[in-house]
Amino acid sequence: MSASQSAVRSRAEAVAVSRTFDWMILFVLFTAVLGGYHIHFMLTGGDWDFWSDWKDRRLWVTVVPIVAITFPAAVQACLWWRYRLPIGATLCVLALLLGEWINRYMNFWGWTYFPINICFPSQLIPGAIILDVVLMLSGSMTLTAVAGGLGWGLIFYPSNWPVIAPLHQPVEYNGMMFTLADLSGYHYVRTGTPEYIRMVEKGTLRTFGKDVAPVSAFFSGFVSVIVYFLWHFFGKWFSGTGFIADDAS
Amino acid sequence: MKTIKDKVASLSFVALLMALTAAMFYTPTASAHGEKSQAAFMRMRTIHWYDLNWSKDEVAVNETVTISGKFHVFAGWPESVDEPDVSFLNIGIPGPVFIRAGSWIGGQLVPRSVALSLGETYDFKVLLKARRPGDWHVHTMMNVQGGGPIIGPGKWVTITGSMSSFVNPIVTLTGKTLDLETYNISNIYFWHAIWYAVGVAWMWYWAKGPIFIPRHLAVASGKASTLISSGDKKVGIIFLVGTIVANAYLMGATNDEFPITTPLQAGTMRGIIPLELPVPSVNVVVDDATYRVPGRAMQMSLTVTNNGDSAVRLGEFMTASVRFLEPNVLEDETGYPDDLLAEEGLTVSDNSPLAPGETRSISVTASDAAWEVYRLADLIYDPDSRFAGLLFFFDEAGNRQMVMVDAPLIPSFI
Repeated sequence: MSASQSAVRSRAEAVAVSRTFDWMILFVLFTAVLGGYHIHFMLTGGDWDFWSDWKDRRLWVTVVPIVAITFPAAVQACLWWRYRLPIGATLCVLALLLGEWINRYMNFWGWTYFPINICFPSQLIPGAIILDVVLMLSGSMTLTAVAGGLGWGLIFYPSNWPVIAPLHQPVEYNGMMFTLADLSGYHYVRTGTPEYIRMVEKGTLRTFGKDVAPVSAFFSGFVSVIVYFLWHFFGKWFSGTGFIADDAS
Repeated sequence: MKTIKDKVASLSFVALLMALTAAMFYTPTASAHGEKSQAAFMRMRTIHWYDLNWSKDEVAVNETVTISGKFHVFAGWPESVDEPDVSFLNIGIPGPVFIRAGSWIGGQLVPRSVALSLGETYDFKVLLKARRPGDWHVHTMMNVQGGGPIIGPGKWVTITGSMSSFVNPIVTLTGKTLDLETYNISNIYFWHAIWYAVGVAWMWYWAKGPIFIPRHLAVASGKASTLISSGDKKVGIIFLVGTIVANAYLMGATNDEFPITTPLQAGTMRGIIPLELPVPSVNVVVDDATYRVPGRAMQMSLTVTNNGDSAVRLGEFMTASVRFLEPNVLEDETGYPDDLLAEEGLTVSDNSPLAPGETRSISVTASDAAWEVYRLADLIYDPDSRFAGLLFFFDEAGNRQMVMVDAPLIPSFI
């Protein structure tokens, strides 16, 4: 067989090769995103995502969606504009959560024995589905950024509440009030993470009394819109193939 | 010749890989907490831990150990370390092998950070409940914001039994009894599994057909609009609406199930009450101090005045958790960690009782291998070459007086 001959001899063979290629690329993309997104998220979301006593109504709600919308926006740009595949955000979040769960189970629990109820990851899948579906329905980056990005920020707290709420039950302990999450953080000693590092319930959203979570979620959604634009362009830029001579698109 | 060279090269490469692989199997237990690597001036001139007591050396899972004692916040706190306005009484252990069942400073529970005052002395207590079997080095520790962890003495404590029998029962303010060790874990797994399945379903819907090559060809040939069908859009709407409705419903259902929830508790605790110690009647002036590098000994020339009404003798010099004792005056009966105890480490030129009203110049030598072992000798390489510590004087009745010393230190290399 010369170099100019096709490697496949029939349509069926071509389809089989194409499918094999699909799964290979999907696997490589999934694992690459898992690694890159996981590192990015640990460096930026970090403790807010690691510990239940960091998952508060203000900063966790604000910070996590903003730093988490990055890779979904970028991968969406690649998969949508080049393949019309509305799975970029979901793929990223599934990869991230798989990596996080491996990390939390193997490292946090398996090596250092922190119970899973103090070190479980945040839930991001509902927001990812919103981003992907809005992109598919609108076919517009702008609308996805505005409606999807806002939805991504807004749905974060409700989608985590079924898991977080049981840990926000109050406890009286040695004459002071804690939530169960606070008590976990106090009981399960983190030698390298002193209490003052914990950035929770800080800020000036006092006007809204106890209802600060929706305000934080809106703010998070607004900033997510901006971050979405930025990272969508990063994704477009990185997925360009201008370096191939016959494909300058 | 080339073949031989190639073989040697490839075998060398294999040998290198084998050596690297073998090295990975050598993983000795890391049982210390880096206390020796902390700058000497930081251990000498920040928090002085003393009168420490570990209530037990060996406990079974679910039993408790209490670490109690005092710490003095040094008035000559170094400029390069932030002052302890935001500090956290921590415990130096390798992960949650114990749970911290309680910690108190001045009788006040301190689950959060506290403000400490320079020059004051506080008593403290940490209650630990054994969780994971093993031999663990348990340190006192004070984290200072802007200063880092200031680690105190550590002692080995053995935990016996099985971690599977560990329980952490808690009663909530709504009257619910639960085990914090396992509470909510199945709920966490359940919801994460459900949403993961939803995400996989969305992925599967798109991955079940051709993905990359045919779709790319279609996009490249201007047929991108044909790739999203009305059926796809209907499925997308189902996912979108389903996700929003499910979350709205779950939020409400969760609120119904847990009608009383409170925000995380945070904020620095101020107003921690220090110990009211009597003003020492012994006055000490450091005339000079040298550290003799070859002899691992620090020598101080002191002028001591006894303003009290009973004669006193110098019994102990303590710095950076290392205790140098004058054996004719003091013997340790507290079970203080051996490696931090120089039982005959303090020599005084004239340690006869210092009578009331008397002033005497004495030469005090603190010598022990601990200067090297605990890297305190590195003090001479610090940017602010000063030493500090606590001197303990005792009268005939055994009453103790604590005097701080803080002075420049001159190294002697010969």
